[in-house]
Amino acid sequence: MNRSDGSELPPILGMLTDASVAKHIGRAVQTGQERPPQVALRRAAETLGAAQRWRTEPVRVLVDEAMRRFEGRRTAADGWFAPRLHATLRMTRAEAADGRLWNFIAMVVAPDYVVWRHRGSDTDGAPGAATAARFCGPHYTQAFSRLWWAAELFRDGSDYRPTETACQVQDVLQTTMRLDVIDHRPTAQAILRVLERRLAAGVSRPGDQANALSAAVNAAGSTLVYDVLAPDRPADTDALQDWIDDAEDAAAAPWDRLPEGPQDGEVSRASIDALIPIFEQLLAEAPIRDRSARKGGVPDPRLPEGVSLTKPSDHL
Amino acid sequence: MTAVFPYPTIFGDVELRVMSVSVDNRELPYAMISATDRAVALHQAGRGAWERARLRLSVTFPEAEISSGPWSDVVFLAVLSEKATNARTTAVLSRSADGTMQGTIELDSVAHLRRATLGVSVVATVEGVAGRLVGSATQDWYVDLKASTPARQREIDIVEVDFKEGEHEWLRPYKESAWIVETTGDVPTVYLNTGAIEGLMVALRGSGGSPAERMLRDLAATQIAQDAWTAMFHTAVSDLDTDEDGTPMLPKGWRESVLRSMLPDVLPGRQPTDALYEIVERRTKGYGWAEIQTGVQFAAGRRSRATRNLTNAVRSVQNLEGAGGAR
Repeated sequence: MNRSDGSELPPILGMLTDASVAKHIGRAVQTGQERPPQVALRRAAETLGAAQRWRTEPVRVLVDEAMRRFEGRRTAADGWFAPRLHATLRMTRAEAADGRLWNFIAMVVAPDYVVWRHRGSDTDGAPGAATAARFCGPHYTQAFSRLWWAAELFRDGSDYRPTETACQVQDVLQTTMRLDVIDHRPTAQAILRVLERRLAAGVSRPGDQANALSAAVNAAGSTLVYDVLAPDRPADTDALQDWIDDAEDAAAAPWDRLPEGPQDGEVSRASIDALIPIFEQLLAEAPIRDRSARKGGVPDPRLPEGVSLTKPSDHL
Repeated sequence: MTAVFPYPTIFGDVELRVMSVSVDNRELPYAMISATDRAVALHQAGRGAWERARLRLSVTFPEAEISSGPWSDVVFLAVLSEKATNARTTAVLSRSADGTMQGTIELDSVAHLRRATLGVSVVATVEGVAGRLVGSATQDWYVDLKASTPARQREIDIVEVDFKEGEHEWLRPYKESAWIVETTGDVPTVYLNTGAIEGLMVALRGSGGSPAERMLRDLAATQIAQDAWTAMFHTAVSDLDTDEDGTPMLPKGWRESVLRSMLPDVLPGRQPTDALYEIVERRTKGYGWAEIQTGVQFAAGRRSRATRNLTNAVRSVQNLEGAGGAR
């Protein structure tokens, strides 16, 4: 595939270790002035198999369309991109947890997207840069893995609509997605339902609500066991595998309507409903930090004050 | 972490044991379950591709305390989770004839990558509030998916490769270097450059030989080990997770082993967690960081047996000179 800048994309996706990409993430790459050295990176990469799902082109097509559609309003791209990336790069969680694939996409397939989406504002004549963690970083920060995982953690079986809700409030991706409590699907869905109600009511600064709610749910989760209050069904692994296998002949993800996710089981309605009143109460009692007072030219550094980033498993 | 709960919790010990494991309906050899390390080794030679493992669990608990205590609707919940894959599976245990709580939890291979953590939560209604955590297993178990024996400590990989012409592209810039230590991955790796110094590989691989050869081998090995320990220490203390009040926590895997082993030498006389706190303070605030380096060097040197090997080397040099002088 020929790119407008003359370089050619590899037909198949690959994997790049953190060590092999770290040295190429420099200022010039982070600001988009230079493309990471393609030849060196491709030589260092391990190529994935010949399956359709590892083809580069469908991912690149989505990237181009995201940048075209959301020109000038880049944060809105997440809600469109996340479900379509998830439905295009069909894989298991074990595969997605391997950061090497995400490194490859950010460094070889679409470094321009990373900069387009995550570039900071220009300061004193110096061009704004995307942080290194957007190229190679944890699952909730890296430019592509955060989208894939947002879709994976917030989808309700094959229904990606909750993912769109989650992406509507950036703080959900930035704060909520780091928390271990949302690995319990009914908890994740109930948080979104409570937020949806706030959004529908036209609350100002929904991000503050999302942060307060996530912090409260996470804190309460150290004494309340949501798994018992709201039992979840185990995911249907076979259905997931079928969906992944279908990638061989599946059509490209649609642009104007939502794709369909794996039919590996919906979250129990009763379980979500059991949690909603608890979360409503937690939010009502939670201190909501008003960030509107802090206005300046600088965007919020999204300090997680009042939000514990500690996951329960950190203590294990 | 010792949490404080605003309601009565169980005082006695809750102990978890993995009784047996079946993988795709075939029993896993018992040697793959280590009760002392509380570890299960699922990934074994000859059975790389599997779909589902079933772990049969047994939990002992202070029965008298629970039956007479202020708790109702007591549920024993086994929780299997892995941070890397955001996976979380739970199973409710039920009472068996021998008085323990037993049950089975399933582990899907597609939902896990490296190591899953298995714990038990005791949940009950307390003071009118349902679903409260009133106790948990004193120690968690670990299910290793990438280990052939159930051990939680990993060793160092040593790879011999030609930096200049070998398969690893990223090693090219270091082609003049005799070795490189890489600590970003799951297992720290020492890359020995077969192309840098002629004869070094032969010297390192040999055994016996003349005193001069032995000396060369010991010194080179010491030097490599020193570099490896130093690099591992610095990697292990960087990028630490912290708990709610900002206290750094010991990392997992080899990083934990390295810190547990080296911290007493880096900052003598302190608990590992206290020493870690001190180090992170110094690193982030910038004071006393240089002083730490002496401690790191000392700790790395001890582990690479620098003093012993150097002493031997000095002696052999003296012997060589002595032999030369007598001629």
